[in-house]
Amino acid sequence: MKTMLMIVAVLLVATVWNGALSAQNKILPYPINQKQLANGLNVVTVQFDSPGLAAFFIVERVGSRNEVEEGVTGFAHFFEHMMFRGTDKYPRDKYNDVLKSIGAGANANTSLDRTIYHMTGDATKLETMFEIEADRFMNLNYTEHDFKTEAGAVKGEYTKNNASPYAQLEENLVNTAFDKHTYKHTTMGFLKDIIDMPNQYKYSLEFFNRYYRPEYATIVVVGDAKPEQVNALAEKYFGMWKHGTYVSTVAPEPKQDSARYTHLQNGSIPPYLSLNFKTPAYSDVDINVPAIDVLNAVLFSETSPLYKKLVLEEQKVRSLSGDMMFTRDPYLSSVEASFIKKEDMQYVKDEIMKAIEEFKKNGTTEKNLADTKSRMKYSYAMSIDNPSGIANSLSTFITLIGDPESLNRMYAMYDKVTVDDLKAAAAKYFVPSGLTVATISADAQGGVK
Amino acid sequence: MMKALMLTILFAATMFAQQLVELKQPKSNKVVIKLRFANGSISDPQGKQGLTAATANLITQGGTKDMTYSEIQDKIYPWAAGYYAQVDKQVTTFTFMVHVDFLDQFYPILKGLMLTPSFADADFRRVMKNQQNYVDQVIRASSDEEYSKKALEDLLFRGTNYQHKVQGTSESVKSITLDDIKLQYANAFTKNNLTIGIAGNYSDAFLKLLKSDMAMLSDKKFAAPAPGKANTPDGVQVEIIAKDNAFGSAIFTGTPLAITRSSKEFAALMVANSYLGEHRKSYGQLYQKIRETRSMNYGDYSYVEWYNNGGGAMLPPSGVPRSSNYFALWIRPVQIAKQLKTQYKELADIKIGHAHFALRMAIREVDNIINKGLSKEDFEATRTFLRSYIKLYVQTPNEQLGYLMDSKFYGRKDFISEVGKELSKLTAKDVNAAVKKYWRTNNMFVTIVTDRSEADELAKSLKENTPSPMAYSEAVKAGLPKEVLAEDDIVATYKLNVKNVTIVDSKDTFK
Repeated sequence: MKTMLMIVAVLLVATVWNGALSAQNKILPYPINQKQLANGLNVVTVQFDSPGLAAFFIVERVGSRNEVEEGVTGFAHFFEHMMFRGTDKYPRDKYNDVLKSIGAGANANTSLDRTIYHMTGDATKLETMFEIEADRFMNLNYTEHDFKTEAGAVKGEYTKNNASPYAQLEENLVNTAFDKHTYKHTTMGFLKDIIDMPNQYKYSLEFFNRYYRPEYATIVVVGDAKPEQVNALAEKYFGMWKHGTYVSTVAPEPKQDSARYTHLQNGSIPPYLSLNFKTPAYSDVDINVPAIDVLNAVLFSETSPLYKKLVLEEQKVRSLSGDMMFTRDPYLSSVEASFIKKEDMQYVKDEIMKAIEEFKKNGTTEKNLADTKSRMKYSYAMSIDNPSGIANSLSTFITLIGDPESLNRMYAMYDKVTVDDLKAAAAKYFVPSGLTVATISADAQGGVK
Repeated sequence: MMKALMLTILFAATMFAQQLVELKQPKSNKVVIKLRFANGSISDPQGKQGLTAATANLITQGGTKDMTYSEIQDKIYPWAAGYYAQVDKQVTTFTFMVHVDFLDQFYPILKGLMLTPSFADADFRRVMKNQQNYVDQVIRASSDEEYSKKALEDLLFRGTNYQHKVQGTSESVKSITLDDIKLQYANAFTKNNLTIGIAGNYSDAFLKLLKSDMAMLSDKKFAAPAPGKANTPDGVQVEIIAKDNAFGSAIFTGTPLAITRSSKEFAALMVANSYLGEHRKSYGQLYQKIRETRSMNYGDYSYVEWYNNGGGAMLPPSGVPRSSNYFALWIRPVQIAKQLKTQYKELADIKIGHAHFALRMAIREVDNIINKGLSKEDFEATRTFLRSYIKLYVQTPNEQLGYLMDSKFYGRKDFISEVGKELSKLTAKDVNAAVKKYWRTNNMFVTIVTDRSEADELAKSLKENTPSPMAYSEAVKAGLPKEVLAEDDIVATYKLNVKNVTIVDSKDTFK
């Protein structure tokens, strides 16, 4: 059976890669097996040719977006730390001993919309991975002292990050760009809330009770593992996990009606400018989402006329890029530029806005659009060369809409984007009324209008 | 575990002086090519520190005789092909990655970049502005952790060709001209100091073409100078770097280490090191004591070889083989007095933050291992971990090839599989003997990047070996077990062999 599967896998790979990539139906050339347990937990398996190696991820759809109450910003991330503080069966030291015995690379990270717990290692140890993870996801048990102590490590993380002026600006940027939505604070949270974390023990119990439930979680296994085996392990270790009752509601952000500005005075790094436009939530049916992603590449990548002018010819700008983050609720698409001289910031901002306005009128060539789509697909195809990489990319789409197949649907959407779609998306979203300008320079004021 | 991925590993001397490392992966959808030159920043001429990096960067960020940089970018854009140069102390590696669909179309660009780079003046100005900015500003202002690490190397290797940052210094970068770059390219990027690495889905005919074309590189006989060795300090020598608005104290320590991956004793040090402070793992003693129990910072680790981009990488990246080595401790930023005083009223009277205590604690942990060794159980658990964990270093074709090429640098064929075998034969006795033989704490360099407000009192405390009790908030202190507090009392007065402490203004570093 295993040999047959291997042969099928080899044939599949050969078919895919010997043909033109554009002829492929799905960007991920491996089937995504999904099974939902009775308690709501979704289990995803992708077989990948990595003999003896498997990536085991748990995607919790809780991030700083869920920090709805006053005074608890940064809590989803803090809670990720607490998840390593042990259970009755596997206290912290024992959990560490087991992890060590598996020899896996294991860690976790938190973002706006999710927390990911991941392990990559010996596929023959998969059952142990299931056992220790199921235990802590259901039976986490820490003392109030452990809780207070861990808060110090979070402050340490803030301290480390804060050395970067860009991290400081990011905090100001989202605080300026958002009024009501929880995207107003970074995943790290506000410093005042981080300092107050030791006093939030009771809230932490409530947090666990709300979100560490099967309906908020998805298990992803990629590598040398069969779906039947993974599903059986999931049933065995997570089957008794109780469904919760909490429904997370996040206040919507009111429509922004005029440009906003934030500035950080810091002369120790090159002057910096970012233009941040409000953009829609992720969706694999709204053409604006892939359109904005393509737009960023067309307008600001190394082959764009603007890049060539500002970076290569005039050399006023060290780097220029445009990027949209896929998020569950409307967030920001950002154009970033790093400067030689701060005096050029207004000029460059005007040039960026001019390029956007010209695009709204004239669009771009069909060839440029086709080249950009090709780049996106080949870039992805080359990136999926290891189990963790694949598990990570699936996790993105699980986070966004709860379904890893959305990865394939999104890449199919890229294929459908037309030049008119790009123009329409630019006209709708790249507008001054949705803009927040963030700057860093040695001056007390940003000065960019 | 990874055997099946490493389908073919061939080592062959070619008809030229080139060396070759091959890793055929017919199932892969791409080809990775690494062209490695044995030069590195130690090959920078005196006064032109940063020249090798400037040369490599101008090759990858410039054009060829047939195409401008911009034309190349246009051409490769739809293919998502990419390339970059990595320069370290002793080698420069150019990495090219392309999908098999476009290998043949991409190849003339690779060939042009390596054999006939344009070295255009406009590209030169652009590349140098960024390099200048890195040495002037970026290193000092974006990560205090990376800053303290580079400042440590500046101390450890002072007076040698290993001292300067790969990117050079503020003064030296200003002096680099386009002619210098052309000369360095002709002298130090030759067919005689080249190793070709190739992995993925390529044909024999392609490899033959690549080899014969790379034989057209300069035929000068380049020999990189002997690499400088780490200085052994007299006692513990501390350099405090004072800057404005630092939020914490970022600490690195280092002391010369006589062996590298090429040694059969290295596996023993890997085990001891993993036990003491495996990178980004919570199992290490340093992490357990400093972060987990006392929540002083985000993490604490130790190193028996250079670890590139420790702030970003979870696993050790390839491409930085070195023959001059040191043993290092990384204590991530700890709190300073100025912040603690404002955050907790019970700490209103403290004079210094946590740096002195953290340093004492870290060094004491090393001393404990030197003196007591690992128990049989700890040895077994750590070895078991490492035997599995090292296989994760080579999960991608890029890293598989990189590690094989690094193996060659160290006179090995395949470090990962060889060290796996060496680990399997080790005993706790071997590990404890290696630690006693190679680790020292009485002579080490320490760099601390901190806020100006912290510098004077911290320097005084270190110099005078003043007791430095741990300054906890009441919230944490109240719940600490007695044995932790008892250990704190010992650590607070733990004698460090500090012989000298200097305070350097941030603007005066790397001179």
